[in-house]
Amino acid sequence: MLYDVKLKIAYDYDVPASGARHMVRVLPMSIPGRQRLIAGTVSIVPAPEERVDMVDFFGNAVTSVYFRSAHSHSEVNMQARVQVDTQPPGLGLYCRADEIAAELQAVTSIGPDSPHHFVGESPKLRDIPTIAAYARSFYKPDMTVDEIARAICADIFKTFKYDSNATDVDTPAAEAFELKAGVCQDFTHIMTSALRSLGIPAGYVSGYLRTIPPPGKERLEGADAMHAWVRVWAGRDAGWLEFDPTNNIPAGQDHIVVGYGRDYSDVAPIIGVLRSYGGHNNIQSVDVVPV
Amino acid sequence: MAGSRVDTLLGYRPLPGIADEMIDPQGKVRPVWQHLLGYLGRQDEQSIADRFATADRYLSDAGVFYRAYGGPGTSERDWPLSHIPVMIAEDEWAKISEGLVQRAELLEHIVGDIYGECRLVRDGLLPPPLVASNPEFLRPIVGLQPSGGHHLHFCSFEIGRGPDGNWWVLADRTQAPSGAGFALENRVATARAFSDLYAEMHVHRLASFFGNFRDTLLNKRRSREERVAVLSPGSANETYFEHAYLARYLGFMLLEGEDLVVVNGKVMVSTVSGLKPVGVLWRRVDASFTDPLELDQNSYIGTPGLVQAARSGSVMMVNGLGSGILETRALLAFLPRICRDVLGEDLKLPSIATWWCGQDAERAHVSAHLDRMVIGPAYSRLPFFDDKGQSVLGASLRDRAKESIAGWLKTEGAKLAGQEAVTLSTTPVWNDGKLAPRPMSLRVFAARTLDGWKIMPGGFARISSGEDAAAIAMQAGGNAADVWIVSEKPVEKTTLLPPDSSFTRNMPGSLPSRAADNLYWLGRYIERAEGTIRILRAWHARYAEAADARTPLLGDVTDYLASLDIEIEPAIPNSLITNIESALYSASRIRDRFSPDGWLALADLAKTAREFNRKVKPGDDATRASTILLRKLAGFAGLVHENMYRFTGWRFLTIGRMLERGLHMTRLLGHMAGEDAPDGTYDMLLEIGDSVMTHRRRYNVATARVTVTDLLALDPLNPRSIFYQLNEIKTEVEHLPNAYVDGQMSPLYREALRLHSTIALMTADTMSPEVYKELEREMEQLSDVLAQTYLN
Repeated sequence: MLYDVKLKIAYDYDVPASGARHMVRVLPMSIPGRQRLIAGTVSIVPAPEERVDMVDFFGNAVTSVYFRSAHSHSEVNMQARVQVDTQPPGLGLYCRADEIAAELQAVTSIGPDSPHHFVGESPKLRDIPTIAAYARSFYKPDMTVDEIARAICADIFKTFKYDSNATDVDTPAAEAFELKAGVCQDFTHIMTSALRSLGIPAGYVSGYLRTIPPPGKERLEGADAMHAWVRVWAGRDAGWLEFDPTNNIPAGQDHIVVGYGRDYSDVAPIIGVLRSYGGHNNIQSVDVVPV
Repeated sequence: MAGSRVDTLLGYRPLPGIADEMIDPQGKVRPVWQHLLGYLGRQDEQSIADRFATADRYLSDAGVFYRAYGGPGTSERDWPLSHIPVMIAEDEWAKISEGLVQRAELLEHIVGDIYGECRLVRDGLLPPPLVASNPEFLRPIVGLQPSGGHHLHFCSFEIGRGPDGNWWVLADRTQAPSGAGFALENRVATARAFSDLYAEMHVHRLASFFGNFRDTLLNKRRSREERVAVLSPGSANETYFEHAYLARYLGFMLLEGEDLVVVNGKVMVSTVSGLKPVGVLWRRVDASFTDPLELDQNSYIGTPGLVQAARSGSVMMVNGLGSGILETRALLAFLPRICRDVLGEDLKLPSIATWWCGQDAERAHVSAHLDRMVIGPAYSRLPFFDDKGQSVLGASLRDRAKESIAGWLKTEGAKLAGQEAVTLSTTPVWNDGKLAPRPMSLRVFAARTLDGWKIMPGGFARISSGEDAAAIAMQAGGNAADVWIVSEKPVEKTTLLPPDSSFTRNMPGSLPSRAADNLYWLGRYIERAEGTIRILRAWHARYAEAADARTPLLGDVTDYLASLDIEIEPAIPNSLITNIESALYSASRIRDRFSPDGWLALADLAKTAREFNRKVKPGDDATRASTILLRKLAGFAGLVHENMYRFTGWRFLTIGRMLERGLHMTRLLGHMAGEDAPDGTYDMLLEIGDSVMTHRRRYNVATARVTVTDLLALDPLNPRSIFYQLNEIKTEVEHLPNAYVDGQMSPLYREALRLHSTIALMTADTMSPEVYKELEREMEQLSDVLAQTYLN
């Protein structure tokens, strides 16, 4: 599938902000066999005094900007054309849950894709006993990683309410788990934390979702803003799988990857530090259209 | 002879089965201790007590303290010096030094590999989880080429002597090692206590180690414009005293994260003269907190963009961001193999035996030898005897079921490490007129210099408060002692001061804006306290006579105080205490700019005020208490006036004082010197303005509105008058950096000048409450312009 993706994030400050520094992660990446970025730009308004484009540890494209002078409005605009490939059907080589530790031990790389980064604690996902107990209820030693992931994914979809007023971007996963409600970020954190508590490497994917579904299909939740889903490591043969607990589907042709990380903090669209004395508003709009 | 001792060991008995620093395994006194032991034996009780008191007095006068956590709040504690130094012979020290130099080089290899090509992990010498699951593995640093070519520049090592008499490394400190400054202070204190002994024995001096490191850091700057700075987390940190001390001792700037800004990949410090480049940062902040943008997003003490600056190679970090990973406890288990692989030789100084429980064989070993193990967090960066109870002695688990321990080790294995439960050697401490053995460990410091790694000849001995090694940490009541490396030959004596021939007069560096801000507010708080106390004293003196707080005059003053949020009860009010605490806080953030005397004077003022706040009664008692507080304030002001170098910092302090004093008088006259002022108002105003005598001499008439106004508002010679303050402010502002920009007066200077002329043209009969109100507004505006120009 070929898509044109557009994103706009705009900030309005009550009192002009100065000395603002932002790290922006919004540009889709190229992943051999999964998707290809044909063309893409990130433009910033007003023009920042400094701008550096680079690639972070996990391979995500980052634009670092610095606004020295005061401004009361700023905007990030991203435009990209992305080719999403049809994924080969799984060969069923998923390792069993009780084999995962041995599989992990056999990996001696700590490169960006290494599962070793995705088993321990991460800034937003410390050990959460309630989620660990929840995860144990799905676990049988002879199940494959794929089966466990699907079971948790389906259960989150079934028992958690999609409610954008229930949580905000800083809500801890443990709290969203108690509320049994939230948005894609919360569901992704909960599922990631659940899998890790079973020793299964899991991470956070940020990206975009096709806005208008193909004819005859339902519109997916999360298409009007940046989306998030889970990636799971199913052993050396199967590698990484992706699941979308917000919609209870494997991430496929409708999912465009922007960034991989351990949790939201690694791939937040905008991380910013600024000096301001008032409040601010931000709006985000996303448009993902097949070409 | 009275007081002479029969027992040449002074009651010392080493503990059975434990190595001892002073007594060798054959029960003989080690030669290096004999001199000290003989010397102590010749002193009587009183002489020893006097000597210890000399050391303690030095530490207290120098203001050496450490900050204790826990319990109700935090507090500054006296420095816990154990007066008997630890003696180590030069040849034994040479072996330790050689081992530590090798270790520093090994650690540099490891950290370079972890953030570089990752060969150690790939070749199986380092298990992947120890890096990938390690909270100190900072991913944004991967691939970064450190400026200066190295990650490590200053390390410390915790070493201890095991039961077999050999030295072991217990922990490596590479994040932001502390203690070097305290080691210096221990040395000065101990050398004063035993000045004669110190002169007789050939003890290696510490100064050249610091001088060498200082010169190296200065040399690493790329231009003379660049500053070298100590980056501190701030005055709430337990070792803040040391940051301020080292900065002062070595002549570096003392900065906090908010002082810095990154511009085009370069680190700049914002000073009152504008942005100035920083070339070397001696970091005393844990790396994660240094940049909220790329590292810990919750950090409030960082500098956004610092990682990017480090990446661009424009600033040398001491030590490199990410070096903290080397402190990981479980890493000790892998050093022997890595050392053989990387350096092709064995570790010269072994680490304490360590097993990471994430591996099957190692876990089984720990499980089987539980009695000899300490088990604790694998990723801990603290030695087991110092990790706030996170580690447990395997022997204490004996009563638990074997299976449950095995299960614990298996499920939590990767997060646990076992270490051999060594007993540390003991060293003598002075206890009730006798010497007694106490467990100790040594912290030894290594600095990378232009000629490679150098080990400080001496260090910082940490001594347990009891016979248990677990109480070594100072937070747990442990003590610190000096370490003397003793030579048989005379040693080189250096100081940090250059020889006379190279005399140059250095201009003081630029004043950081934050320091200027704190000095300015210190001036304002101090003056505000004085103004308040003067009013309170006058109030209580009259109350003591009338015994009635509702006279028109006292009622009027009470209303005035209320308008400033100052309550009349208790007699030394809470708001005054808050005010003095604020002054103390401002001063605490700029300790490097204060003489210990100034600090002690201020701390003493705060202590006295708190006491008075609790117990002073209205009337005479309060009048007396106010006089005492005023005297203490005058003491502090005197120290500032007599001793503080007249440079930019002093000007900000002075402007703060003058502005507050001017505001105080303006508000006071505006409220009280109206047409219908109650009886006694003008006498009281003169008393508050400390101008009773002057008035008598100058005017020869009874107090009247016009004469009092003239003296307190408009007299250019009265150091309490409003005009006098504005005159002084104008003069100081003129001398601030950038008073003229492109030949034009700065907005601040223009404002100060305008205000000065306004009041210069006024006459006493035109002064009305409205005029005072307008003056007050303009002075507040002057403060705003000052803040915008210099303090942001």
